[in-house]
Parts: sequence; C-alpha cells; structure tokens
Amino acid sequence: MNLRAKLGYTAAGLTVLAAMLTPFLLYGLFAKGFVALGFHVDEMYSGGPKLRTVEKGAYSIAIHRAVVPHLLQTEKPFVQLDWTPVSALPAHVSDTVDVDGDGRPDIRVSFDVPADPKAQLRVNVEPIDPLNPRYQSMRDVGKDGFSRLIVRVNNSILVRVPLAHPS
Amino acid sequence: MATNTQLPGHPAQRSIGRAILLTLPIVVWSLLMFGHTSGHSDRLLQIAGAITGVFMVILFFMMMRTGTTYRWRRWFFVSLGLLFPIGFIHNVMAMRGSMGIPVEEMIAGRTPFCFMPIPLLILPAAFTRTLVFPGSIVPAGGMSGSGIAAMVGLWLAITLVIGKGWCSYACFFGGIEEGMAAVPKRPRIRKIDPRWRYLPWAVLLAMVLLSLALFEPAYCIWLCPFKAVSEYIAARNTVGLVQNGIFVLLFAGLVVALPLLTKKRTQCSFFCPFGAFQSIFNKASIFEVKIDPSRCKPCVLCQNACPNMSLSKESIARGEALMSCMKCGACVDACPRQAVVWHIKGTPVSWKPERARLMFLYSAWALAIMFGGSIIAQGIATILHFLA
Repeated sequence: MNLRAKLGYTAAGLTVLAAMLTPFLLYGLFAKGFVALGFHVDEMYSGGPKLRTVEKGAYSIAIHRAVVPHLLQTEKPFVQLDWTPVSALPAHVSDTVDVDGDGRPDIRVSFDVPADPKAQLRVNVEPIDPLNPRYQSMRDVGKDGFSRLIVRVNNSILVRVPLAHPS
Repeated sequence: MATNTQLPGHPAQRSIGRAILLTLPIVVWSLLMFGHTSGHSDRLLQIAGAITGVFMVILFFMMMRTGTTYRWRRWFFVSLGLLFPIGFIHNVMAMRGSMGIPVEEMIAGRTPFCFMPIPLLILPAAFTRTLVFPGSIVPAGGMSGSGIAAMVGLWLAITLVIGKGWCSYACFFGGIEEGMAAVPKRPRIRKIDPRWRYLPWAVLLAMVLLSLALFEPAYCIWLCPFKAVSEYIAARNTVGLVQNGIFVLLFAGLVVALPLLTKKRTQCSFFCPFGAFQSIFNKASIFEVKIDPSRCKPCVLCQNACPNMSLSKESIARGEALMSCMKCGACVDACPRQAVVWHIKGTPVSWKPERARLMFLYSAWALAIMFGGSIIAQGIATILHFLA
C-alpha cells in the first residue's frame, strides 16, 4: 500500500470517527461556533434593537432603533414600538409617543386591545405635528407589511410605523 | 466461517452470520440513538423509536447480506420523505393551527429553519453580518427548539462526513420524489437533454444573488416546491397567493409528475439550488464512486440507473461520476460487472471496494439514523397518535 492509499484510509477512518462523534460533539461544536460568529437576524424581521423604554403606569412602551431596508428590499424604513405587558393594557390604548427622544411627542398611536388574543388588531397612527414629514400616518392598519403593521407577539403588542426618511 | 460469495453479474452476498456481525455496530448505534426515547413520558414516541430503530437495523442488515445498497436505502429515504411532512405539519398545526407562517411568528423568530436557505444566507451574512431569515439563531431557539445554528451545525457535520451524500441520506424532502420515481416500471420519458443538469447551478446563482439584493431567502419565498408539504408564508395579498400557487405547481410538476414520467429525481437533478451547492462539498468528501475502466463494457446501465443524471458517457470514460453524485448506490448496484465501485480517495480503483463501501455506509447510516431516524420516529409517533 502506497502513502496515498494509507492517507486515504486514515482520512476514511477519521471520517467514520467524525460520524460517530457528530451527535455527541461535532454538531454542538459547529452550532456553538456558528453562534460565536456574531450574526444577527435581519432587523426587518426582528425590529431592531431597543433604544429606550417609556413607562406609562402599569405598562411600558419600548422604542426601537429605526430600521432601514437594504438595497432592493421592498419595505419602507420603519420604527417599532412595543406595548408590554398586554395584560396591563386598557381596552383602548391612545398614547402619544416621543419616538426620537427630543422631549416632545411625535405621534399618537391608538388601538383597541381585544380580550381574545387571536383577534385581529387594527391601529391608527397620526403625527402630532402634521407638518413633520418623518412619520407616516396609518389609518385602520392591520398587517399590511413588515414596515406597516400591528401584531401581538408573546406578551407585547408591536406597532411598526413607516418613516418617510430614516434619519 | 464467514464467506463472500460473488456470483458473476451479481453483487457480493454474505452469510447470515457475517451480515449479523457487520450489523452489530449499527444495532449498538440505534440503541444509543433511540434508547433515550425509552425514558420518554410519551409511550407512543417510545414505540415509534423502537419501530424506527428496528427498521433501520433491518435495512442495514439487508445491505450487508445482499451486498446491494440502493433499494434498502430507498426504503429509508422514501419513509423519511413521506413521514417528515406528517410529523412536521402535525407539529405546526398543533403550535399555530395553520401551515401558513403568520407574520407574528416571523417577527418572534419562530420560523423553523430547514437546510435549504443555507447557501442563500452566505452573501448577506458575509457583507452585513445579517441572516436574512425570520428565525432564531441560538441552537435551542425557533419554533420547536431548533434554531438556525442547530441546523447549520448538523448540516456542516454531516456534509464533512458524506459530502453530497446529504441528498441521499439526510434530505427530508428528496424521498418524496424518489418514491414517485420508484412507482413506474419503465420511464415514459427516456431522452433528457443533459444540459438540464446545469439548471440547478443557474437556480443557485440566481437565488444567491436575489437573496443578497432583496435581503430575503428568495428561494424559500418564491420557488421551493416543498413549501406545499411543509409550511409557507401565510398569504396576506395577491402576491402571497401567487407564491403559494407557484409552490403547488412546482411540487406537482417536479416532485410528482416528472419523477413518475422519467424515473429520475427531477427536482434534485434539474432545480434544487441546495443540491448544486452541496455538490461543491463532494470534492471534500473522502468517499466517492469510481468506474474501473478495465471492467467497464460500457453498457450505460449505470447511467440509466442514476436517479439524478450524475453519470455521462464522458464521465464513465474518465472512470468517475460527476460532482453531483449523491452516493445513493444505484449505479454500483446496477453494474453487472462490478465495474462501478465505492472508492476511498487516494486508494487504487477497485482495490477492496467493499471495504470502501462499508466505511462509507457505517458513516452514512449512523448519520441517517441520528438525523433521518429521529424524523421518521416523529412521523410514526404522529400516526400512532392519530390511530390511538
């Protein structure tokens, strides 16, 4: 048997060993290695990182960083607001929110909170200053797109408000 | 005394005793893989695990006894293809009441991640460190505790061991069309232009670039035929309805009708971008299929038997399969002169091919039991739940 053949059999033996180690070692090792690479899920899905939280008595509103679409993504830029916990929300929510953190409210968000968690949600969003072109108004919107929706996720109600321009 | 009886024109057959001896490691492996279900509180899952373990051991024993691979592997693979949708659809229906993925589930990162989008994630991840998939990254995330990292880890480990053998021993979709291709005795369509073989590469290139441009897993959203038997984006508008229509049409055409007409795995051969991507890793795998020119006639029986057109007259003349070879063993079993052989890279062709086959099969079958076996067990448990 020449050297190439010996190397071939050695590699084949190691491959059989790798197969045996897959469920106990390799699979977990590769999965952890992948996590360690530090990727993150596209913010179009995740909504982007939370910037700050505004307390509103029994509940709070989390304000996320504005999400800007990539290259040819069809969605508009948006900002996500989370109302948490759902159990503490009144039957009708109508809150003004200072989205950009300048101390002045930017938009008024209104929606009903049905008792049935599977019921469709609808939201109205109006800019406080109609001359402010940054926030687009929404009338009776449900789940029109990733940048324009109201949904219940876990113990929060998420509203995504489309932005005319992200900055 | 164990013997090998090699009849002219037939693969090597073993004595029952030697076949049992060779199967013993797989028995131990099955006990290791399915033994944990015996401590499970779900009695039906225990039974399903036991049935699957016995099933996989019997198939391996038959491979050892008869010296053939393809038809026994096919039993496993078709079972995997048929039972995966049963277990998966039951799971999603139980958790969310629909096969459609609602936008809430995507935002929550609970979309189950299958292996198909892996090549589509590479460029967006390389350029922006962003994964264009609405799932959870952590291994225990996702809808049923299987995040993106878990599937990537599993795929990488299995791919390192068997290369494109993934498409014959791990893919939980390909079994449906392999089952369809097994139905007719003879193909109605015999002549297929070999240029169709390049189409998966074109689909792969188009989908990878589109995924980068649109920042979405374009194949999953627009072209995956298996959405018809797993899950799809819940249609919110006309575009969604068109997408779902495309899934159903592609499934009916590529996974049902064409395999029945051609006896080939047409989706895998002519469309699947993941299959094309996986072909690249065949170069890294130590196991391959070779053709011994000193024994080859050539009668092209192997070429006709290949379910994904991975043999051509030119490749046979060169003594090798094309890089798209899925290592299913159909060509090896079809050759009446044992000219088509399992091979370990670096070793002389036709030098102890049965040793190469054994080493490959131990690796592939161990992984098939670990990954596919657990899916089969889940599918059987679902059926038992319905029956009970």
